[in-house]
Amino acid sequence: MSGRLLWLAWRNLWRNPRRTLIAMAAIGLGYAMLLFVACLMAGLRQQMIESGTGLVLSDVEVHAPSYYPDRPTDQTLGGRNGTEVSALVAAIAADPRVQAASPRVYGYGLVSATHQSAGAQLLGVVSDQEQKITVLQTRMVKGSYLTGRMPKGIVMGDKLATTIGVEVGSEIVLLTPAADGSTGNDLYTVAGMFHTGLDVMDRGLVLMSLASLQELLRLPPGRIHEVGIKLHDIAAATTAAAALEAQLNKTLPVRVRAWPELAPELADYVQFNRRVTFILFFIFFLLAVMGIVNTMLMAIIERTRELGMLMAVGMRPVQVVGLIVAEAASLAGASLVLGAALGTPLLWYLQVHGLNMGGDHRGAVSLAGVVVGPLWYGRQDFTAYTQAALGLAVTALVSALYPALRAARFRPTEALRKV
Amino acid sequence: MRWQKGSVAICLGLTWLSLGQVSQAADDQRAREIVDRVARLFASQSSIATVEMQITKEDWQRKISMQFWSLGESNILIRIRRPQEDAGTAILKVGSKIWYYLPKANRTVNMPASMMMTSWMGSHFTLNDLVKESRLTNDYVIATSFEGQRDGVAVSEYTLTPKPAAVVVWGKITLEIRQADLMPVRQRYYDEDGKLVRELTFSEYKTVSGRLIPTRLVMQSMDKAGKKAGASGGVLAQGVMRPLDQAVEQTTITYEDIAFDVPISEGTFSLENLKQ
Amino acid sequence: MMGVLLLVKIGWRNLWRNPRGTLLTALALGLGLTMLLISLGLLDGSHEQMVGNGVRFGSGHVVIQAQGYQDTGSPELLLPAPIVSTTGEFLHSEALKHVVRGVSPRLLASGLLSSAANASGVSMMGVIPKEERAVSLIPQRIVEGNYLNDDQQSGVVIGAELARNLAVKIGSKVVFMTQAVQPRGTKATDAGGGEMQSTLLRVTGIFRTGVQAIDAHVIQLPLPEAQALLGVTDRVTQVAVLLEREGDSLMVARALRKQLTGAPVEVLPWRESMPPLAQLFLLDEAFNYVMNGVVLAMVGLGILNTILMRVLERRYEFGLCSALGLRPVQLAVMIIGESLALTAISLALGLVLGLSAQHYFATAGLDLRWFFHSSLPTALVFDPIIYSRLSLTRIASSVGIVFLTATVISFYPALKAARTKLPGALKVF
Repeated sequence: MSGRLLWLAWRNLWRNPRRTLIAMAAIGLGYAMLLFVACLMAGLRQQMIESGTGLVLSDVEVHAPSYYPDRPTDQTLGGRNGTEVSALVAAIAADPRVQAASPRVYGYGLVSATHQSAGAQLLGVVSDQEQKITVLQTRMVKGSYLTGRMPKGIVMGDKLATTIGVEVGSEIVLLTPAADGSTGNDLYTVAGMFHTGLDVMDRGLVLMSLASLQELLRLPPGRIHEVGIKLHDIAAATTAAAALEAQLNKTLPVRVRAWPELAPELADYVQFNRRVTFILFFIFFLLAVMGIVNTMLMAIIERTRELGMLMAVGMRPVQVVGLIVAEAASLAGASLVLGAALGTPLLWYLQVHGLNMGGDHRGAVSLAGVVVGPLWYGRQDFTAYTQAALGLAVTALVSALYPALRAARFRPTEALRKV
Repeated sequence: MRWQKGSVAICLGLTWLSLGQVSQAADDQRAREIVDRVARLFASQSSIATVEMQITKEDWQRKISMQFWSLGESNILIRIRRPQEDAGTAILKVGSKIWYYLPKANRTVNMPASMMMTSWMGSHFTLNDLVKESRLTNDYVIATSFEGQRDGVAVSEYTLTPKPAAVVVWGKITLEIRQADLMPVRQRYYDEDGKLVRELTFSEYKTVSGRLIPTRLVMQSMDKAGKKAGASGGVLAQGVMRPLDQAVEQTTITYEDIAFDVPISEGTFSLENLKQ
Repeated sequence: MMGVLLLVKIGWRNLWRNPRGTLLTALALGLGLTMLLISLGLLDGSHEQMVGNGVRFGSGHVVIQAQGYQDTGSPELLLPAPIVSTTGEFLHSEALKHVVRGVSPRLLASGLLSSAANASGVSMMGVIPKEERAVSLIPQRIVEGNYLNDDQQSGVVIGAELARNLAVKIGSKVVFMTQAVQPRGTKATDAGGGEMQSTLLRVTGIFRTGVQAIDAHVIQLPLPEAQALLGVTDRVTQVAVLLEREGDSLMVARALRKQLTGAPVEVLPWRESMPPLAQLFLLDEAFNYVMNGVVLAMVGLGILNTILMRVLERRYEFGLCSALGLRPVQLAVMIIGESLALTAISLALGLVLGLSAQHYFATAGLDLRWFFHSSLPTALVFDPIIYSRLSLTRIASSVGIVFLTATVISFYPALKAARTKLPGALKVF
C-alpha cells in the first residue's frame, strides 16, 4: 500500500509543477548553500589547524610516558638507555597515515650575548627531516634556516635577538643544566632569525641541530625527547595517535598525543567555530518549514473537493494524513536531490580553486603568517551534509503534520460543496 | 581573713606564674643564644675554603671540587677545580649581581639574581643557602622542644617557628644540637602542613682555624615536588628519616679545608680575576 | 477610474478575505526577519565575545604603556603617576563613560615564586582588584579560594598549574622574589639592575583559565604591595582598558593619544598590542562575512518562496478582476498595495518576535553545550554560552533588506498578473 501511496504522492506533486518547482528551488538552493558553507568551514578549520600546528607543534607527538607536560630533560624515549632513533623514526614514517616524522630534543637555558642574557627554550632538530613536518623555515626574516653546513649555527626569534642585542653572525653562549647535572655551555653562532608573529616563539625559542643540543645536554645520540609527526589527514589526528600508541607500545613504552591535547586552545576555537554551522542549520530548517507548510497548505486547500471526494468514497483520515505526509516527504526528497546536484559543482570549485578573499583587507590575514592565507579551500564534510539531510527529512515530516491534520479533518460533505 | 588568704593565694599564684614566665624567657634566651651560635658557625669577616660537593640524584651522580672565597656577605668567588670538564668554571657574586665564567666558551655570562634561589649546579642547596648569613634568630621564634638522649647522645632540640612577617617558605624548622659541645646534629625543614621537606645532617666535627665545626653536611630531599609519585621509583617516605646510605637523592658538602678571617683583597672579587 | 487610494483599500480588504492564509504568509515572512535578526545577533555577539575573551586575557581593547614597552618588555619602563590619573579621569569622563567598561592599572614584573617544595619563574601582575575584575577574566575563573579582596593588603592568586608545580593550596606560604626597579636616569652598567627583593605571600585563590601559559606562570597581587616590592611608589607598567564594544577600540585609542600628546607613552589598540589575536579575529570576521551573506541568501529564498507562491496562485482572482473591468495598471497597483500591506504586517510581527528572541539571547545567551556532546572538550577558553548583540544599524538594515526583497519580488507577479490573459486565468483548474 505504501508504495502506491508514494507513487500517488509523487504524482500529486507534479500536478502543479510551478508551485512544486518554486518550493523545490527554494529548499534545494538552501541545501546547496548549506553544503557550500559546511565545505568551506571544514576547509577553514583544516587550514587553521595546520597553521597552528605547522610552525613548531606538530600534528602528533610521541613522548616517553612521563615526559609531558613538565618536559624533564632526563625523560627520554626509551629511558636512560635511549633507543635506535633512526629505526624508530623510520618505523613511524612507515605507517600509511604518516606523511613524515622527525626526531627532536628539548632543553631550557640561558642565551647569553655580550651584555644581555635571556631564558629561552632550546629545540634540537635534524634540519631536512624537520622541514618536512613544520614550516618555520618559511618564516625567516634574516639570515638562513639551519643547514647541515653549520653545526654550531642556531636560529632564534627576532624579538629574542633584539632583547639580547645580537645580529646574524653574532656569537652567543648557551647555558643549560645538562642531563648529568653539569652545566652545559658552549659557543654558537646566530645563523638566522625568524618572525612568526607569536610572541612566545619570537621571544623564547632557539632552534639548533639535534646533535649539537645533545652534545650540550650531555645526552648520547640515542636519547631524544620526542618524535614529531605530520599526518596526511590532520582531521584524523586523534585516531591516528591512538593507533600509533598501540603499535609502538609493543616495543617501546610511549605516549602518543594528537594536537588537540597539545594545543587545547586551538582545539577549543575549532569547536567553537562549529557554532556557526549550527546557526545556519537552524535557518535552513526554518526555510524548509516555511516552504513545505506553505506548499502543502496551498495544495490541500486547492484540492479540498478532491480530498472530500476521496474521503467520501472510503479513504480513511489516517490515509489522508499519510498521503499528505508522503507528498511532503517527496518534496523534501526531491529538493535534496536538486540541492545536491546544484551544490556538487560548488563543492568541486571550492576544493580545487578555493575562494579568494584576498581582494580586500582580509588578505592581510596572510601577512602575520600564523593564520590562513587569502585563498580558502574547501573540504568535504560528509557528516554535516548528512546531518542536514536528515534534519531536513525530520523537518519535512513535522511541517507536513499541520496541513495533513487539517486535511484529515475535512468533512466530506462540506468539502464536496466547495467550488 | 578569708579575702586575705585568697589574695595571698592569688599573689603566690601570680608570682609562681611570673617566675615560670621568667624562667621560660630565660630558656628562650638561652635557646636563642645557642641557635645563634650554631647559625654563626661558618660566619666570619672573610673565609677561604676548599669544598667537595657530592650530588646523588636518581639518574646521575657527580662530585665537584671547588674553592670558595668570601668577604662579608656580599662578595663571593667560587672556582671549580674538578671534574675536568668543569674545571676553571667560576662564579662571582658582588652585591646582587652574579657572573658566571665559562672556560670552554671563554665567556663571562651575566646571571639574573633570582638564580640565587634555584638549585645550584643541580644540587639540593641553593646559592642562597651557601652564601647567605643565616637569619634564623631574626626570622624565627625559638623554643626548646626536647632535651635528652637520642642515639646515645645527649641532645637538645629547638623548634623554630617563623615570625608572622618573616619571608620564609617553611612552616617550622627543628634544630638538634649536642649538649656537650653545642654542635648541630640535624636540621629539619617542614612545610606548613607539618610535612618534612628537607633534612640537613651534620657530622665529622673537627677543629679548623680555631673553631669546632661539622665538616660534613648532607642535605636530603624528602619529596620530589612536581614529579608524579611512582615515576621516579624512589621517593623517600615523608617524615621518615632514612639512613645516609639508603638515601636516593641528596647532596653532601665536605669541607676539606677552611680558614676564617683571613685577609682577602677586594680585588679578588673582580671580573678580571674571574677569568683566571 | 478608481483612485489609487481606493485600490489600496481594496488591496487591504483582499488580504482579510482569507485571514488564515494572510496571517500564515505574514508569519512566514515575519519569521524570515526574525531568523535574520537572531542569527545576525548571535553571529555578531559571538564574534565580539571572541575578541572580548582574547583581550580579557591580555591587556584589554586599548592599552596605555610607557613608550617602547611593547617592543622591549623592560620592567624599568613605567608610566608616571600623573599620566595614570589623567588617563583614568579621561576614561571615566562623561564623554567616554558609557563606552568604557573597565580601566585597570597594572604593574608587571617577572620573578621567582618559591614554596617549601619547589620554585618557578612567574610573571607578576600588581592590580587593583575592583578594577581588574572589570577588565580581566582571571577573577572570574577562580576555582578554589577567592579572588583578591578590595581591601586586602597582601595575598596572591595563582594559576592551577602553578599551584600544582609548587604543591601549594589555599593559605599556603609562598615567597616571591624579584628585582627592584632601577630608578630612571641612573643607568645600570650591566644587567644587575636594582636589588633583589622578596616578600611573603599567602595564596588567597587559585584560578584556571585553560590557557597553559597563564595557569602555569601568572600571579596577581594587590598593586600597592607590588609597588612596595619593586620600589616604585605610584607608577605602573600599563593601564588596560576594556570597552563595551570592540568597534570603539580605534576611536578610544585616538582620543587617548590626543589627550596624552607629548607624553612618552604608547597607546595601542588591541590589534597592535596582541597581533596574533588580531589575526585570529580577522579570520573570524571573514567567517562572519561569509555567514552573513549565506544567512541573507537563505532568508531571501524563504521570502521568495512565500510570496511567489501566494501571488501566483491568484491568477484566477486576478483574471476575474480584469474581466470586471480593472485595467492592468490598476490591477498592478492593487497587488503592490496588498504586498506592501502584507509586508508591513510581516515586518511588524517579525520585529516583535525577533527583538524579543534577541533580547532573550542577549541576556540568557545560547548555551552551545546543547549542541555539543560529551566527546568534545569543554570550552575552557571560550565561553560555551554565546550572547547575542544587535546594533541598531543591523536591525535597520535587516528590516530594510527584508522589506526590499519582499517588495521587489512581488513586482514580478504584479506585472505578470497585470498582463494575465483573460481566458487562461479564468480556467477553474
